Amino acid sequence: MSCAYEEDLTAYVDGELPPPHRARVEAHLGTCADCQQTERLLRVTVARMAELPAFTPSPSSRREVLARLDALPPTWRERLASLLRPGVLVPSLGVAAAAVLAVLVVGRGGGETAALDEWDPGALEVATNLELVEDYEVLGLDSSDDLEVVENLHELGMP
Amino acid sequence: MDLDPDTQAMLKVAAGDKQAFAWLFDRHHASVARFAFRFVGDPARAEELTQDIFVKLYRHAGTYKPTAKFKTFLFRVATNHCLNEMRRGEYRVARLATEAPEADDAGGVEMPGPEGDRPDQALSGRELEAAVGVALGDLSERERAAFTMCRFEGMAYRDIAEALEASEAAVKSLIHRATLAVARRLEALQAGTVPARSRA
Repeated sequence: MSCAYEEDLTAYVDGELPPPHRARVEAHLGTCADCQQTERLLRVTVARMAELPAFTPSPSSRREVLARLDALPPTWRERLASLLRPGVLVPSLGVAAAAVLAVLVVGRGGGETAALDEWDPGALEVATNLELVEDYEVLGLDSSDDLEVVENLHELGMP
Repeated sequence: MDLDPDTQAMLKVAAGDKQAFAWLFDRHHASVARFAFRFVGDPARAEELTQDIFVKLYRHAGTYKPTAKFKTFLFRVATNHCLNEMRRGEYRVARLATEAPEADDAGGVEMPGPEGDRPDQALSGRELEAAVGVALGDLSERERAAFTMCRFEGMAYRDIAEALEASEAAVKSLIHRATLAVARRLEALQAGTVPARSRA
């Protein structure tokens, strides 16, 4: 069939045509036997799709997906969140402050204070923390519990 | 701005909230699995694709902008993933028809039962499934995706257009061609001119 309205018939059946367009198709259907036949066929087909059996995914799917998420490497956001925990951040700030103090003292002697002014304290802080995280990664530790154990090794009498 | 529950949950997922992810999974995984099943025609592959899609959704949650309806965003991820997998050649559309039982008659059409006076009811559920599977397998990937979102998920043309990154006019055309192809397939089966298990 090569009727110009044929391409509109599915959208008509689906109720997707704007009202003026819909009215034109309806008027055409009143005069075109081919389009009437196609429209009936489309309606029956659309209705029959509801009779198809539903596909039900396996109940284990949820558990498997959540396990895959747990196995993903930590995102930057997760890394940053673990860095900003007080247990990690406070000692790191102490190290950073000591480093800044040392540079200040050396700077007074060496006359290189201009370079220090260019340092971004935030960047320094992150850089210090990133170093700690890299150390932890070398050890293959990734959960926050593991990090706490490492931080408190001295309490366990380990080197 | 008043955000719907899906959007609120997705924003939490973007912040790394796995409970919110589990909630979204529970709400939408059946839809995605149906879509994947109709797309590849194989239950095991559909399961695998569905899991991949949700892992991808979690990993790329940060790219979600609440301006897009969540389901549209989800189906954009799903469609892109399925299309990419098909193009990589890892998946081939399995014809559901191969799972259909042999019909007793030569035409592969079940004899009309008690409702045989209604021609549209003459195909059994399994034959219908088989015929639709064959018809879907013969469609282009985009026609199949548009048809599936429209017929099995009840999505509006506008949302399908957004998911497929196409115009509404293009979607209208895709859905029409796909629906007509399925309709002709069923009509031919009904008339006994084509066996359920054959290719179009």
